[in-house]
Amino acid sequence: MTIEAFIEKFSFAIEVEPSTLDADTDFKALDIWDSLNTLSIIAMADADFNVALSGQDVESSRTVGDLWQIVKAKSKLP
Amino acid sequence: MKALSGVAVRAIAAAVPTDVARTQDYEYLNPEERLRFQKATGIASRHIVRDGQCASDLCIAAAEQTFEYLDWSRESVGALVLITQTGDQPVPATAIVIQQKLGLPQNCVAFDVNLGCSSYPYGLAIVGSMMQSLGINRALLLIGDVSSRVCAKHDKSSWPLFGDAGSATALELDEHATPIHLDLMSDGSGKDAIIIPGGGLASKRPPPLQGTVQMEASADGILRRPDNLILRGADIFSFAISKVPLSIRRVVDAGGTTPDDIDLLVLHQANKMINDTIAKKLGFTPDKVPTSIEHYGNTSSASIPVTLCTNASLFREARTIAVSGFGVGLSWGSAVLQVPANSILTCVESDAIY
Repeated sequence: MTIEAFIEKFSFAIEVEPSTLDADTDFKALDIWDSLNTLSIIAMADADFNVALSGQDVESSRTVGDLWQIVKAKSKLP
Repeated sequence: MKALSGVAVRAIAAAVPTDVARTQDYEYLNPEERLRFQKATGIASRHIVRDGQCASDLCIAAAEQTFEYLDWSRESVGALVLITQTGDQPVPATAIVIQQKLGLPQNCVAFDVNLGCSSYPYGLAIVGSMMQSLGINRALLLIGDVSSRVCAKHDKSSWPLFGDAGSATALELDEHATPIHLDLMSDGSGKDAIIIPGGGLASKRPPPLQGTVQMEASADGILRRPDNLILRGADIFSFAISKVPLSIRRVVDAGGTTPDDIDLLVLHQANKMINDTIAKKLGFTPDKVPTSIEHYGNTSSASIPVTLCTNASLFREARTIAVSGFGVGLSWGSAVLQVPANSILTCVESDAIY
């Protein structure tokens, strides 16, 4: 799985165009960002990457790339 | 894996107050946010108690429904267990007060249990196993909460989610009863995900809580009293979609059944996104997963009986159901049980104060 695929899933989860996001996007600064989007991102990580993200994982990430690093690390766990 | 033999469900009733709080009227969200909140959570309205009505009142109203339906004598009830996190007073246990109010005999075992969203499977285990081991023929399992009384109204992360409700499940020893399969779990490392931090003794040592209760900003920046509920929704969401499907799968497997053998899956009603995810993971189609969240919100400990009673028309014939409750603790559990025809009574509205 690549970061491009993650960005696409991420954009789908929060209902924005993929072209509006990249690895450096500060996603919590987006106009449309709210706490319900956190739930959508956790659901996406579970469904598409089989990774259980915590609220803290989303909270501690600034950019889409930061969160991708967490998903990648967690997906390697047994 | 745990199974409980010889205990049958005879009736399940639920009661909610009459006052309705609609998501579309919640003043701390703007109109666009209200629509978005309703779409994501599935909550259009909730029923909220008026001043003075307690969890005991709603549970008594439900218990009266079961007495009316079953024609049981009050003298025949040997145990009454109340599961709540919003009891009428810290001491004594509310169940003992209810014993007297319901006119149950003095040889009735009565006590409270402190559990929330996982109450239903836990309650079946507690009451059913006590009936078996002590030879108690008939028992009432009362479960209810008035969460509106512990949430700050301006707290958008909790207030618009919760509704108030009480329930009663009448259980009877029956050697022919189909075993109830159970899966019961705990993880105290998640205690802060849903917590009322103040009011207990830990919060009073030292310094003692004195004088007027002050609002304080929590880590999320929301002002609350120490005895208000704090809910970390994202952590609960993550826990629920990862742990609950496994619990349901274990309990279904333990009964030697497959999801196809289960007529209905009845989930704690926390959030539509959570339940859609759980159902999808387990392969249950939406028509097999009845809901009540749209009308009553998250009714906390009572959500499973409330959902059953909101969908009473689905129970005109006997059903095999899987139930799963999950949340505060963290505590979660699932059960597979048989519900006899017509034993699910229609949810009633009551403002009675007993």
